[in-house]
Amino acid sequence: MEHKESKIRWGMVVDLDKCTGCGACMVACEAENNIAPTTDSSNKLRTLSWMLVYELTNGKAYPDHDVAYLPRPCMQCGKPSCMTVCPVTAIDKNEEGGIVSQIYPRCIGCRYCMAACPYHARYFNWYDPIWPEGMEKTLTPNVSVRPRGVAEKCTFCHHKYAEAKELARAEGRDPLHLEENDYIPACVAACPSGAMHFGDLNNPEHTVYKMAHEKYAFRLLERLGTDPQVYYYSKREWVRRQGDNYLKTEKTKGA
Amino acid sequence: NWPWIPKLQYGERVNKPVACKFGSDAYGILVETAAGRPFTARGNPDHPLSQGGIDPLGVASVQMLYSPSRIQGPMKKSGNGFENISWDEAGKLLAAKVKSAGSDVCAITGDETGTTTDILAGLLAGLGSDKCFLMSGETAPAVTAWKMLGGQGTPGYDLENADYVLSLGGDINESWGTVVRNGKAMAANKAAYVYVGAVQKPGTSIPSKTWVACKPGRESLVALGIAAYLIKAGKGMDMPGYGAFSEFVTVTNPPSRIAKATGVSEATMKRMAEELMRAKRPLVLTGSEMGQGSDAMGAAMGLALNMLLGRINARGGVRDIPFAPQVVANAPARDTLLARDAAGYVQAVAQGKAQAPKVTLIVDANPAYALPQPDMVAKALEKSGFVVSFATFMDETAAMADLILPASYFLEAMDDVYTPFGSGQANYTVSPAIVEPVFDTRPAADVLLELAAATGIDLGVSSFEDALKAKAEALGADWDELVEGTAWVAATSTNGYGLALWNESLRALGVPRAADDLVLAPMAKLHLGTAGMPTTPFGVLTIRDTELKNNILCAQMNRATAGKLGVRDGQAIVARSAAGSCQAVVSLSESIMPGVVAMPLGFGHTAWDEFAKNKGDNVYKLMEIKPEPGTGMSLFGNPQVQITRA
Repeated sequence: MEHKESKIRWGMVVDLDKCTGCGACMVACEAENNIAPTTDSSNKLRTLSWMLVYELTNGKAYPDHDVAYLPRPCMQCGKPSCMTVCPVTAIDKNEEGGIVSQIYPRCIGCRYCMAACPYHARYFNWYDPIWPEGMEKTLTPNVSVRPRGVAEKCTFCHHKYAEAKELARAEGRDPLHLEENDYIPACVAACPSGAMHFGDLNNPEHTVYKMAHEKYAFRLLERLGTDPQVYYYSKREWVRRQGDNYLKTEKTKGA
Repeated sequence: NWPWIPKLQYGERVNKPVACKFGSDAYGILVETAAGRPFTARGNPDHPLSQGGIDPLGVASVQMLYSPSRIQGPMKKSGNGFENISWDEAGKLLAAKVKSAGSDVCAITGDETGTTTDILAGLLAGLGSDKCFLMSGETAPAVTAWKMLGGQGTPGYDLENADYVLSLGGDINESWGTVVRNGKAMAANKAAYVYVGAVQKPGTSIPSKTWVACKPGRESLVALGIAAYLIKAGKGMDMPGYGAFSEFVTVTNPPSRIAKATGVSEATMKRMAEELMRAKRPLVLTGSEMGQGSDAMGAAMGLALNMLLGRINARGGVRDIPFAPQVVANAPARDTLLARDAAGYVQAVAQGKAQAPKVTLIVDANPAYALPQPDMVAKALEKSGFVVSFATFMDETAAMADLILPASYFLEAMDDVYTPFGSGQANYTVSPAIVEPVFDTRPAADVLLELAAATGIDLGVSSFEDALKAKAEALGADWDELVEGTAWVAATSTNGYGLALWNESLRALGVPRAADDLVLAPMAKLHLGTAGMPTTPFGVLTIRDTELKNNILCAQMNRATAGKLGVRDGQAIVARSAAGSCQAVVSLSESIMPGVVAMPLGFGHTAWDEFAKNKGDNVYKLMEIKPEPGTGMSLFGNPQVQITRA
């Protein structure tokens, strides 16, 4: 498949040395994207967690033990595995920013995309979305509610991108040259510990550009060639090493 | 397409600043509305305690407006259930009960920062009762300690400007002080952060972060050990109280003794002392993993460390923050309220050692869940003649009440926040009502003011808004700016002089001998709720299988501890203390120091809604209350536990 190049590459960099695993990003995502709450989320094969915070450990015993939390949105891959397998063209890699989106009315619920995604970032709507009585009044006007039977995932809150572009046009600014803080997904906006950063990975003035180019930056399963637009950052080698399937003798990226 | 799926509703969109307050922490948020309908909450970049950040409870706060557990109108007990009544009837019933009770009335509130508490306390004082209590938290021990050493207000912590932060037990990212602001400060200033506690804390400047494992509940004792090295290095010789203090930490309780009691080695304490002396702007804070139940004596030792380091009223140090000006007649000063001990009083009532009140008023608090030993609290409430709940949600306490006067939710009622504990500067926020009440509810303050009028008590304010205006004026804050959402922040703080390192009552500080017993470390995590709130419907997704497994509470311990106890990962167990027992399942974690079992708070709800109740067990059941020697305040955070296979 041809790798589509876009001028803007919206991307996220998560500083895993700052994440405390508080969960604010997960909750912010559910509220922003009109994901119906569930009374029991213990069966992770049935939940919808567009953003999911994983707990990583270095596997050592006390007192050498160490923990890191890894928030996992959709990686918005440059070469999305989900897109190539979709039989009904329900997945689009946007040329303006590189966001991978899901076109729900086209989705036939075959779940090939879920099988193809190496990051488990895709979810299937096993149930009709139901809110407690009255709570549907707090649905955001931004994101359509999905029915049972379709696949869905994180969109980098691309409705916020659309809003930011509209605002820029209304104010006579160039919508293709947004300022760093004009467009921020809900999870990044909510983060209370300064771990999450968002911006254009192609713009040298943006924090994410600088962070993604540092030697402690890495991406998940980078060598699969999916070219994710989500970067992680950690000064701890054991954390970076869990980002990919390293051979025992192989040097960790950034070491 | 899909007619059974909710349709989106559009309309003009406006951001409205309010203050989110679910516990002792409170901070500004922006609630976005579409055609007046609130739909989302985010941090308020212009609020000093948010700086754009928000926590997992606050970010789901708008949806709680329609929580299935909301109480929809006034109710009185009828048989085993409740019967709906009118506000008029409820008001009359309340006034009649309170009038006939005379001074035999008690009150418990969870609102540490608002003027509603002054109205409640003023009302109680007017009735002749001194039984108005705040739920327990970190503020009371800190204020008691500060007063012992000559402080006048509340110690405030200038985290933003510190370059080395030593936290003795306080979890600044989940339960200690201004959590959202703490995170922002730590992320921005790249200070070294040293955490002393039983459970490892990930995040917040990891590269410069150190975890020092310490027996739970004994973290603040480490301050004595560090102080000894500072004294040896010649610190504090010109300070009042130096003689007695230096003898106490070098002779009576030398570092060798502290090392045995805490599990922190002398070398480690010495290293921390050296790091503190090397830092330009070090800051020491004390607290407990669970954000409550810690000791005043330990807090005093933490403050004394700051004094030795010359950190009082210094940039990045500790400030003496005055209490809010008192605008409600009769209301006792906030430090008087903080010195009263809710847990101790409730225990005395339950055990028949104190007379049971004829009327109990519960405002913004859930003692039947979140005070130690819920069974004991239930017993005390049963003994109480008439229990009145001003709850917004059907919590455990409301479910036991004789009369429920539902309080409006924070988006529906005006409220205020004066300087939550931990703040670096005095600050004041007014949170306006941004929607009409969704159900037949009223602000608790209004109902209390009517009760004061009905019982002939003059509180000196004609309405709640008047009280807030008076407070704003006394602070020198601009009312119009406040209601528009701009928080007032004090320019400087001038208190904090005349402090001493020593107070004779510190002699009662007991240093326990080393023990091999298994100790409980209760963990407070915001995504699982606070003392006043359970996890939200959206929070359910964030529950980890190391916190709740197959709907059973997880007891985290490391492999060595499990081996010693003869239990394995995933095994069903019962944890018992002198106070009670909890059902749990073993979850191995090397983040926990040996000899400790860590359990998350927030489960075991028996009321609320289907999102919160019947999940796991309530760790408060295990908390044995012990009076602190010297202050008499209730300590309960870290009981000894026994583990048996279920």
